[in-house]
Amino acid sequence: MPDTATILTVIAIVVKVVIATMVIFSLPLPLTWIERKVAGHIQVRLGPWRVGPHGLLQPVADTIKLLFKEDIVPAKADKFLFWLAPLMAMVPAFAVFAAIPIGDTVMVPIINQEIALYIADMNVGILYILAIGGLGIYGIILGGWASNSKYALLGGLRSSAQMISYEIAISFAAIGVVMMSNSLSLVEIVRSQNHGIFSWNFFYLPVGPVWFAIFFIGSLAEINRIPFDLPEDEGTLSSGYITEYSGMKFSFFMLAEYVAMVSVSILAVIMFFGGWNSPFPFTIGLPSILADLLALIWFFGKVCFFIYLFMWLRFTLPRYRYDHLMVIGWKILIPLSLVTLLVTGFMRIIG
Amino acid sequence: MNEGKGRFDIMELIKKVLFTDFVKGLVITFGYNVSMDSVITVKYPDEEKWIPYRRFRGLHTLNRTADGRELCVACELCSKACPTRCITVIPMEDNTGRGISDRVAKVWKVDLVRCLFCGYCEDACPTRAVRLGREYELACFDRNCAVKNREELLRPQPVPEEMSGGVVAKARLRTTPDGIEVVADLSETRKRRV
Repeated sequence: MPDTATILTVIAIVVKVVIATMVIFSLPLPLTWIERKVAGHIQVRLGPWRVGPHGLLQPVADTIKLLFKEDIVPAKADKFLFWLAPLMAMVPAFAVFAAIPIGDTVMVPIINQEIALYIADMNVGILYILAIGGLGIYGIILGGWASNSKYALLGGLRSSAQMISYEIAISFAAIGVVMMSNSLSLVEIVRSQNHGIFSWNFFYLPVGPVWFAIFFIGSLAEINRIPFDLPEDEGTLSSGYITEYSGMKFSFFMLAEYVAMVSVSILAVIMFFGGWNSPFPFTIGLPSILADLLALIWFFGKVCFFIYLFMWLRFTLPRYRYDHLMVIGWKILIPLSLVTLLVTGFMRIIG
Repeated sequence: MNEGKGRFDIMELIKKVLFTDFVKGLVITFGYNVSMDSVITVKYPDEEKWIPYRRFRGLHTLNRTADGRELCVACELCSKACPTRCITVIPMEDNTGRGISDRVAKVWKVDLVRCLFCGYCEDACPTRAVRLGREYELACFDRNCAVKNREELLRPQPVPEEMSGGVVAKARLRTTPDGIEVVADLSETRKRRV
């Protein structure tokens, strides 16, 4: 018979997993609305307006529509893979969140328990995220292959080439962060940046901004967003790997895309912008619960900024041509990251 | 080659490294994103409706004189001029003062499904009886209701001839058993943003 403390820990973990899953599942609802509003206003339109005040109920309407839509499977498609692909895209996007912290341990006053605001603080967290995040590409390749359509297959192929190329640059950026922060654990990476804005990895001059640029460009390509959304290039591939998908299967792909966008935003904040640390080097003597709340606000503020940045970029930039994409990946980002790695190493030895 | 060129290239490289072009574009789109005044959407049909200019060619109207007599003399020139033959005119004699002459239209109908709104009928009309008005909500459920006859066209249209148009008027969507219609309040208008 396990003792009470173990049972409590298990219960806490289960509750955290359930809450995290529910929050992640409902993320696309506000995000699609925000994205369409941002798109509308950037293109001097209003965006969703008619369903609910300011179109707020539009995502609900979209969900209902997708639920009741006919789930079409092409006659010559590989039925099993066609069914499996959305799950293969979605599960890794969710699994990544197991290692993503949203805050340090907090003291909850009523139950008088220390609660950690992460599901697991793995000592290899950053590697886990890169590995699991890389699995998401299987969903896209399988979706493209199983659809038995030229457009879908080309989208899947493009996506695999693109993601594999940019994975290298992202991994180098992660190595850079590990060198700057001296840890592979995401919680430790954040703790190493807790002396105000100039202790953030972004301000580890001169290499911090370069690492950030490499990471940001690479992750734009990883999550298939403009300017690197070639796998679903409407102009040449109709919709790429999601051409043949409809109904809930389609929405699973969209869910995976949005969750990936959020997790990349969170990673950018954790790795380069100090996570839940405030930009001020001093601490004001707040009661611990308020300080924890403030940390959460800083964290979500930064994450929201990055999510907005992704949307903002999407409606500002055109799409790259495919060979340009490959040139950026192989001829610029990878050599640049090797050089930066060398500089970072020297800086660690000297400093 | 010369030194000036070399310096220029270095400047270009620095601009590229600092993503200046991207930042310029982002600043422009951010300006659009935060300013509410730049929105050009007309909230049709819930709140607003576009009132076209006078030159607009919409649904036909048959005009009357100031004392209420029909201007149409049923000369059939409009139906002769019509390139799609969508206007049917059947004349009859009437000396009760319904029209401005003894000859008035017994039937004057236009098939809007065929009509291409070219305006030849109003050019051909010797008495300026037929004119293409500013009514543009012509959708209906079957082909029969797309044929408009004399009685309907003689009714004055909601936008008066004197109004120069080219504005967005306040409006509301009204649902009636016959269908829906957008009622514009012509006293409250605004210019269209461009």
